[in-house]
Amino acid sequence: MSEPFEILDHTADTGFRAWGATVAELFENSARAMMAISTDASATEARGEKYIEVGGEDYESLLVNWLNEIVYLFDTNAFAPKDFRVEEITPTHLKGRLVGEPRDPQRHPWALIIKAVTYYELRVEQRKGRWEAQVFLDI
Amino acid sequence: MSLVEQLERIDDYRWRIPRDERRGMRTDVRVYASKSILEKIAKDASLEQAANVATLPGIVGSSLAMPDIHQGYGFPIGGVCATDMSSGVVSPGGVGFDINCGVRLVRANLAVGDVRPKLRELVNQIFRDVPCGTGGSGFVKINPKELDHVLVEGARWMVRHGYGEPRDAEYAEAGGALDDADPGHVSDRAKERGRPQIGTLGSGNHFLEVQYVDQIADEEAAQAMGLAKDQVVVLIHSGSRGLGHQVCTDFLREMGAAMKKYGIEIPDRQLACVPTQSKEGQAYLAAMRGAANFAWANRQGITHFLRGAFKRIFGDSTQLDLIYDVCHNIAKHERYEIEGKKRDVLVHRKGATRAFPPGHPEVNPVYRHVGQPVFIPGSMGTASWVLAGQEGSMRETFGTTCHGAGRLLSRAAAKKGRDLQSVLKSLEDAGIYIRSETKKGILEEIPEAYKDVDEVIEVVHNAGLAKKVARLRPMGVIKG
Repeated sequence: MSEPFEILDHTADTGFRAWGATVAELFENSARAMMAISTDASATEARGEKYIEVGGEDYESLLVNWLNEIVYLFDTNAFAPKDFRVEEITPTHLKGRLVGEPRDPQRHPWALIIKAVTYYELRVEQRKGRWEAQVFLDI
Repeated sequence: MSLVEQLERIDDYRWRIPRDERRGMRTDVRVYASKSILEKIAKDASLEQAANVATLPGIVGSSLAMPDIHQGYGFPIGGVCATDMSSGVVSPGGVGFDINCGVRLVRANLAVGDVRPKLRELVNQIFRDVPCGTGGSGFVKINPKELDHVLVEGARWMVRHGYGEPRDAEYAEAGGALDDADPGHVSDRAKERGRPQIGTLGSGNHFLEVQYVDQIADEEAAQAMGLAKDQVVVLIHSGSRGLGHQVCTDFLREMGAAMKKYGIEIPDRQLACVPTQSKEGQAYLAAMRGAANFAWANRQGITHFLRGAFKRIFGDSTQLDLIYDVCHNIAKHERYEIEGKKRDVLVHRKGATRAFPPGHPEVNPVYRHVGQPVFIPGSMGTASWVLAGQEGSMRETFGTTCHGAGRLLSRAAAKKGRDLQSVLKSLEDAGIYIRSETKKGILEEIPEAYKDVDEVIEVVHNAGLAKKVARLRPMGVIKG
């Protein structure tokens, strides 16, 4: 496997396709893809952690809720992530961690403000022994 | 048979996709487009999405597609859907994440010749005073209690607290605030996101443009709106920022789960909906109205800081008057005569603008003889239009017209093979000075990424939905 994600094209918005050997890795790579679209995290330091716990009805809504949680933390200046860890995951529940630092909007600006994560053409599936997701973002 | 093959021509500007039961459509799709626009529309999934909207329970009339329609998520952007107020559904996706994204137009007592020599200074000043919010918060500081008042009173709260002139709120759709907003249904998270963001533009396609009137198409209407040739105006395009986005996110989640309870099946999860009269439906509408009011407060805050910037550059005698403010992402309870009967409907306008005709009681008295002002922003660096609502909109489109030029190219396609310097140079050659917090912002919004706004306007004008009043040309652009 080369890149763990690719950015997709959509007339009005943007999205990504991500992969992982496990569903946990897929969720981590999806968060990394969204981060690559919305902000440059190269200057963010890994000096803090933020625990996240979200629920959902299935892997798809769980993925939307996990990513929306990250959008919320970023937009309220609560946290600027650098990396992501998924520690426990079932189709309806996720426990994870963001590694990064408290967000300083001057040092951690949005490159592109993400309004929300959508359900449009949303997919989470296991294919040929690996997990794949497709997500579109409203920007 | 594909949807494009099913298209039937009604006349030069109207097309129909007949109801198709296999697709679950409850009604027709009606498209407003010229032949050449239709060819562009047929290239993406927007007709498919308009057909999906036709499956919504309680839809009244046709699922409507405006000439600026393009592919969205769930609902197409440039779509209109009216549902029966008592037996139909409400869909947050039919409003969109950016609740009450809209446009206001402000006229200055300055002509293009006054502004041109100081254009850079002016644009730089506005860029400092009206942040887009990528790097932090706006200059309006309010506490959580005050925010609850903003959610109820919208632009009126801002005016009362010194962020505007007394007449401002009256010159906005719904007087700058919808009734029956309930801050109690807006989540703490939504409030937390939005509170520091009043007076910020946002990114994406949001912008502020300093423009001048380059063509008057209707003297009487232009006069009513105080527009003369070469007059300077400012177009502000922004919405409800993080607050509205979070309200939509919260309710999509809630409705996704609630739909099963009501036995509703839809072809796309992003079309999630519940009966309008249900507990969830009423809660959404109360929260949506709060977010809409927040958006009016936001555009009012932007207007206040814009006035400050103009006064700093052109002196204290500079006067900026609000012409009007329209929303293009909203659901509203309105009444229409359908097949001889008055019916109460919930009109979802997703990237579509209300366009009430002359004589309509909800049109501000100053404009009642010419029709409600409508503002259609074109792409960056081209033209925008001022229109006035016409009778056709009441007969055919639930008082609605288009909202923009409509995207043609994806953001990646727009950027491909173009570099920032050459785009800036070509804008400069056209007399346009631009400031943006991000390079991406400029490249993704190049004029070539959109349909020709003049062509879009031609359709709604000739279809009798809204008439041309004036064309505006940009000089200064501020982009997120």
